[in-house]
Amino acid sequence: MSYFRAAMTILKGSNLKIGYGSGLNAKAVADGLNFSLGKGSLTCILGPNGVGKSTLIKTIMGQMPPLDGEIFLDEKQLQSYSQQDIAKKIAVVLTDKVRGGNLSVYQLVSLGRIPHTGWLGSLSQRDQEAVEKAISATQINYIRALPISEISDGQLQKVMIARALAQESDVIILDEPTAHLDLVNRIEIMQMLRELAHRERKAVLVVTHDLEIAIQTADIFWLMQCGSPLVSGSPEDMILDGQINLLFPNERFQFDRKLGKVVAQERQKMAEVFAPAEWKIWIELAWKKHLGTFDIPDGEIHVQTNPTRLTWKEGTLSAEFDSLSGLIDYLKSTFSTDKHSP
Amino acid sequence: MQNRRPAFWFSSGIGLLLLCLLANLSVGSVWIPFGEIVGRFFGHPFSKESWETIFISYRIPKAFTAIIAGIGLSWSGLQMQTFFRNPLAGPYVLGISSGAGLGVAVLLMAATAFGFSIGTSGFGTWSVVIAASIGAIGVLLLVSLVAWRVRDSMTLLIVGLMFGSAVSALVAVLSYFSDAEQLKLFTIWSMGSLGATQDAQLPAMGTAVVIGSIPLLLHIKGYNAMLMGENYAASMGIRIQNLRWAMILSTGILAGSVTAFCGPIAFIGIAVPHMARLVFKTADHRVLFPASALIGAIALLVCDGISQLPGSALTLPINAVTSLVGAPMVIWLILRRNFSREF
Repeated sequence: MSYFRAAMTILKGSNLKIGYGSGLNAKAVADGLNFSLGKGSLTCILGPNGVGKSTLIKTIMGQMPPLDGEIFLDEKQLQSYSQQDIAKKIAVVLTDKVRGGNLSVYQLVSLGRIPHTGWLGSLSQRDQEAVEKAISATQINYIRALPISEISDGQLQKVMIARALAQESDVIILDEPTAHLDLVNRIEIMQMLRELAHRERKAVLVVTHDLEIAIQTADIFWLMQCGSPLVSGSPEDMILDGQINLLFPNERFQFDRKLGKVVAQERQKMAEVFAPAEWKIWIELAWKKHLGTFDIPDGEIHVQTNPTRLTWKEGTLSAEFDSLSGLIDYLKSTFSTDKHSP
Repeated sequence: MQNRRPAFWFSSGIGLLLLCLLANLSVGSVWIPFGEIVGRFFGHPFSKESWETIFISYRIPKAFTAIIAGIGLSWSGLQMQTFFRNPLAGPYVLGISSGAGLGVAVLLMAATAFGFSIGTSGFGTWSVVIAASIGAIGVLLLVSLVAWRVRDSMTLLIVGLMFGSAVSALVAVLSYFSDAEQLKLFTIWSMGSLGATQDAQLPAMGTAVVIGSIPLLLHIKGYNAMLMGENYAASMGIRIQNLRWAMILSTGILAGSVTAFCGPIAFIGIAVPHMARLVFKTADHRVLFPASALIGAIALLVCDGISQLPGSALTLPINAVTSLVGAPMVIWLILRRNFSREF
């Protein structure tokens, strides 16, 4: 298996030190980065703001020289490539706003052919085929004639991905491609990237803050944390061995393996819950959200479904509610301490 | 490739250009009928002999000066708008024309100081072109140095305006210390005229515009890539530094040489690229450059025709006409479409 993966490595970093400036003025952002990016898989970089994700991308794109260490692109040193040769190997989707309202979707996608065309940028038969292929792979054929000022943010992101595909590079790097998008678009874009990585044998590298969708779609996680080396592995392994918690240096927030999401770890004890499994999860989450700072005596919550009936039992006292929020409101008003109601 | 729009508009544009050229040649203090001009092109002599002199030594050079100046200014405006990603960029707005003016002012003052004369000789012509281009390139260098540090289009515009004012102030200081003779020369130049090009000057201006368009032609692909911004352009293998120098040299030579011969001409550089985008409905520079050249030539021919005040013996300064026509047009463009979606 390890031999298999090594054979598909397209991008490698060894002891990489990245940052700004040079010589004595150099300001390192991250140090000691080792990684290898494989073809045919979707890799997600996760890490807090300011840890150097964008700097890493710029360094890989060849726009910033590494302060130390080496990057190998297709087994050759990155510095030995010209800018145009890098463009044939690496395509990007950045966070920069693209305007140019007169540009049609088709024209924007065909700009991706720039590294391959002559001085005028005219498209050959071969170039047009690549553009068509990118348009159909991202399913944007129905908007191909529209000006980009008239399409939605979600559609624009697909067009930008199509443009990167038209560049026919082995590596595609995307910087927060799902920021500002709605939930459905976020899932759709990440699924599309996953399919493209697998079907077209691309190495797709995505910077994202969307942990839950990344878990559902990524093959490999790269975790970056200030002061610790870059850690890589499959998302599932990282969850099971707890490495995922590298993302949460604050002990209050931890990844809950059972729930599959990040939850605040309150030491607050909670009532004993007698309810169906899915009720239990949401009662616990609601309790943590609303009652974390309340001083509530030991009690029990009993849930009956059809019709919904929640019962709060505390000693001999018992109260009934027909919704969870009713119960929460009751507990809040009953046990609020003075500091919460001035 | 996907539609026939450019082909249709280019052919009608060329038709309109010929019509405007004909109209421009016929109007002036002396009216030469259309038929006579068409006949003259086919070898029939004019019915009045005085028309021949007016036509050959005044009207023809003036019309072609208008065409060349229109092309040069439009191309420099288009390049600046794309490179700075700013719809309001143009040689006049960002102080490039003022820079050219400073170059010419310094040359005129120096000429008297060192006792050589700027006549219509070949040396004089080229020295004015070179002085104006150096002035224009100097201001462009400063502006793009600022643009490099501040990536905000509004700031860039303000900085351009400030440079323009500062340079104009320098010119004012120079004129204050110069004698009447130099001042008159410079004042006449700064009023702008398409009719001042004679003999050796028209070929010189044409040559300068051809030289100035070479860097542009070599980087058409780069300008298309710049539609997506510097970072994307760089990611597609475009060398931004080369493109920046191409833009500075080309714009400096084009705007500088046109300004050297015709004086500062406002609004052609900023308005024409927008008209080209509006008519041809494209952002592709392979279409926009020829389209801007066509529209720029037509616009300046029309403005020159208006400045002749047909039916009277008076002539308005060309700069006044382009401002009167161009300023409302730019305001209309701003109101009509949301500029922020364009860039």
